[in-house]
Amino acid sequence: MNQPVRLEASESTLLACHECDTLHRIPPLTPGHTARCRVCGAKLLRNPKGGLDRAIALYSTALILLLLANAFPFLTLEIGGRSEITNMAGASWSLYRAGMPELAVVVFITSIAGPGLLIVCSLYVLLALRLRLRVPGVRLALSWLSHLEPWVMLDVFMLGVLVAFVKLGNMATMHVGTSLYAFVALIGVAAAATSSFEPQLLWQRLGVRRRR
Amino acid sequence: MRARNLGLASCHTCGLLQRLPVGGHGHCPRCGSSVHLRKPNSITTTWALLLTAMIAYLPANLYPVMSVVSFGKRQSDTIISGVIYLFVHGDWPLALIVFVASVLVPLLKMLALLYLLLTVQSRSPLRKQQRTRLYRIVELVGRWSMVDIFVVALLAALVNVGTIATIEPGTGAIAFTAVVILTMFAAASFDPRLIWDHNGEA
Repeated sequence: MNQPVRLEASESTLLACHECDTLHRIPPLTPGHTARCRVCGAKLLRNPKGGLDRAIALYSTALILLLLANAFPFLTLEIGGRSEITNMAGASWSLYRAGMPELAVVVFITSIAGPGLLIVCSLYVLLALRLRLRVPGVRLALSWLSHLEPWVMLDVFMLGVLVAFVKLGNMATMHVGTSLYAFVALIGVAAAATSSFEPQLLWQRLGVRRRR
Repeated sequence: MRARNLGLASCHTCGLLQRLPVGGHGHCPRCGSSVHLRKPNSITTTWALLLTAMIAYLPANLYPVMSVVSFGKRQSDTIISGVIYLFVHGDWPLALIVFVASVLVPLLKMLALLYLLLTVQSRSPLRKQQRTRLYRIVELVGRWSMVDIFVVALLAALVNVGTIATIEPGTGAIAFTAVVILTMFAAASFDPRLIWDHNGEA
């Protein structure tokens, strides 16, 4: 086990910038404020407004919206009197069917599994801290979150939907399904949820593990 | 004052500042992941991933990412011809976004990583702030290049109406996804703190 650096004044945080390694002693932040590195400008620490409760509310909403977005038809295309309905999973399923399982996996992870895991892990950690539950895997879930984040591409997927709409607009009629409305709402809620969530603060609440 | 000069390292996963034992490796007492002063083999790993991405960039742009089969006729689109199609038939703001996301971003991202690697290896003391900012942007925008893959997947899912029209994903899509993923891993394996370390690789 490494030796954690302890502070005399337990209120402030000692951090090294993850981009330039400059040491900072950060005083307690008022809600809504962000500490940035004075040398390179990287974000060091945020104290999101609303605390754990707001984050829990937003991630719960996001979870419901993600389930809705996956439960109903996403888009319907009408062409020559025939119609083709697709749902969220249809995008990766079509790649699998076309003999590209590796691509199907990437699309599935970035549009369904990644967002799902991110939301569930975040809620697990937040609820465990809020309700002071001694449940296993909180640290593991919080570790996963930092690696998972770049692979959640809901916003990019939304842009893809827009482009697909324009590309098909002049050759077929498109109908928007229930899932697409849920999905658009999900983008907004997920963005708000991300800004209400600061892993650094949660790690500080968890503290250093006691030796077993 | 920099953490390195005091023999302190911060955990890559949870950010906890800690004193490393002799040898420079250890496990974080807060999150349990292994801790190093700098990301291990950062330069070599980034080079390997970047060069692979550069090689994959050729088939990604030369092979079609999708084909439209309509009444027996097949028309194939590459990344570039797809953007041109949007410029001609769609609205140009969207075409511009797609052009930036799928043509400019991958290209500029690879050039930026190349520049960062070369300046770190030559221990350049210049423009450290700007280079750090460049790295931050590279890390942030990389994922947007996936947009074309989502478009192909959605089109293939929607347009599957027998003989009237079918859209099939093409081999270019695999290569293009490989470029996006490899450059994302390359950016993740690059350690921006090396820009600020005068004595080269850690």
